[in-house]
Amino acid sequence: MALIKAQIISDAGAEAGYTLEQLLQALQHDEASCRRQAARDLVAYPAASAALFNQLAQEQDTSVREVIFTSLTRIGNEEAVAGLITCLRSEDAMLRNEAIEAMKQLPQEMAPIMSQLLHDPDSDVRIFAVNVLESLCHPEVENWLIEVISQDCHVNVCATAVDLLGEVGSPRAHDALQALKQRFAGEPYIQFAADIALKRIAHV
Amino acid sequence: MADLTLSDDDFFKFREFFYRKTGILFEDSKRYFVDKRLLERIAATGNDSFRSYFIMLRFQASGEELQALVNAMTVNETYFFREDYQFDCLTHSMLTDIITHRDHNEPIRIWSVPSSSGEEAYTIAMYLLEAWPYLSEWDVEIISSDIDTDIINKAKQGLYSARSVQHVPADLLQKYFRRKGDFYQINDALREVVEFTRVNVMDPADMRSYRNFDVIFCRNLLIYFDDLSRKQAAEAFYDALRPGGFICLGHSESMSRISSLFRVRKFPEAIVYQKPHEGKR
Repeated sequence: MALIKAQIISDAGAEAGYTLEQLLQALQHDEASCRRQAARDLVAYPAASAALFNQLAQEQDTSVREVIFTSLTRIGNEEAVAGLITCLRSEDAMLRNEAIEAMKQLPQEMAPIMSQLLHDPDSDVRIFAVNVLESLCHPEVENWLIEVISQDCHVNVCATAVDLLGEVGSPRAHDALQALKQRFAGEPYIQFAADIALKRIAHV
Repeated sequence: MADLTLSDDDFFKFREFFYRKTGILFEDSKRYFVDKRLLERIAATGNDSFRSYFIMLRFQASGEELQALVNAMTVNETYFFREDYQFDCLTHSMLTDIITHRDHNEPIRIWSVPSSSGEEAYTIAMYLLEAWPYLSEWDVEIISSDIDTDIINKAKQGLYSARSVQHVPADLLQKYFRRKGDFYQINDALREVVEFTRVNVMDPADMRSYRNFDVIFCRNLLIYFDDLSRKQAAEAFYDALRPGGFICLGHSESMSRISSLFRVRKFPEAIVYQKPHEGKR
């Protein structure tokens, strides 16, 4: 027994390139490692977004789910973004959090639908949309947050937005923050968070 | 040619292309570094504009120029016994943990990626020979890989400057190297047991061939990637490891910020990340 010379044996199938059909079949395999590998390889097939979402809905293995989310984020097409939005409405907290993390990586793809998300009838979805803004590298983030605290009638949505404005806001948010305090005059948390945000943006 | 410069559009176009191919994202602050090397490649390939070079780069069937460009753009700075507490951890803790769950039928496999010029892989070999008492009972394979084919050839050659070997203890320098002018060459026995290969960790097809590793050293590579590429690489490493296998990152890197797939293992010598044993996720 000792140090011995290794050999890397090439995967002939991978060299030739697996077909979409082969990979979709592997996505249903009993072994989690096969499903993970298929989910990873499907990144080369944007048309696989729907199949990846279908698998996500039934996938029990968290490691496979994580890889599916990474592939969907990498694909980042309209279908993938629509699927991520569906996840925001899920009862499964892990699924929602993974979707939020994925959306943060897609600033250009999320921008056109952000306004729609921030006006969603479901206040929870609006809160998740604000969560996405937390790390979304997009120049409109502050404008979206100002719009939220100016218009949204739900105190929790505004509270989430005002917390974030304290981190990313500028003096441009000053008037909206003052107006928010008036709109929610009876909400101590809003008063507290808006005062902190006002103090912070004054030093930007 | 002397007057050729790259416009912002050229830079952004190239950056996007290179990122898609390798996962390496150049920040704006790296503009000078990128421009300089890109202009060198444009000149070396006889092109007279970024446009003609970029067309060649994108559509060349052999991929030869892409490889040359990768070689020019990657940084290969390392030395022997760098962050050696992780090698102490390997021989004192990680391998002990691994052999309690294994029989002797298959060799223990260690992967050093990126290999750079081979210092890390040869250091691992020396550590095993000098500090792991169970080497006589186990077969161990060391594989070391890089995306840069020039540097792989250099690693195979095993020729190092005095600066590169400055942390090698004198007795080991004497034992495992031979002097060649101003340089030190790793002895033939070590060069023969370390396997050097080319791999792009962002390419799923490449990564399919890398399986059943017990320990992966991937230090100071992921810092060049953006968040999404880091996650993608971590997931590929997850499948490259055997259940219970370990991955070691550089001292400024944290797997916990990249992926939730691994669990943290705190050993006396170092904090490393472990792929859970089957059924323990």
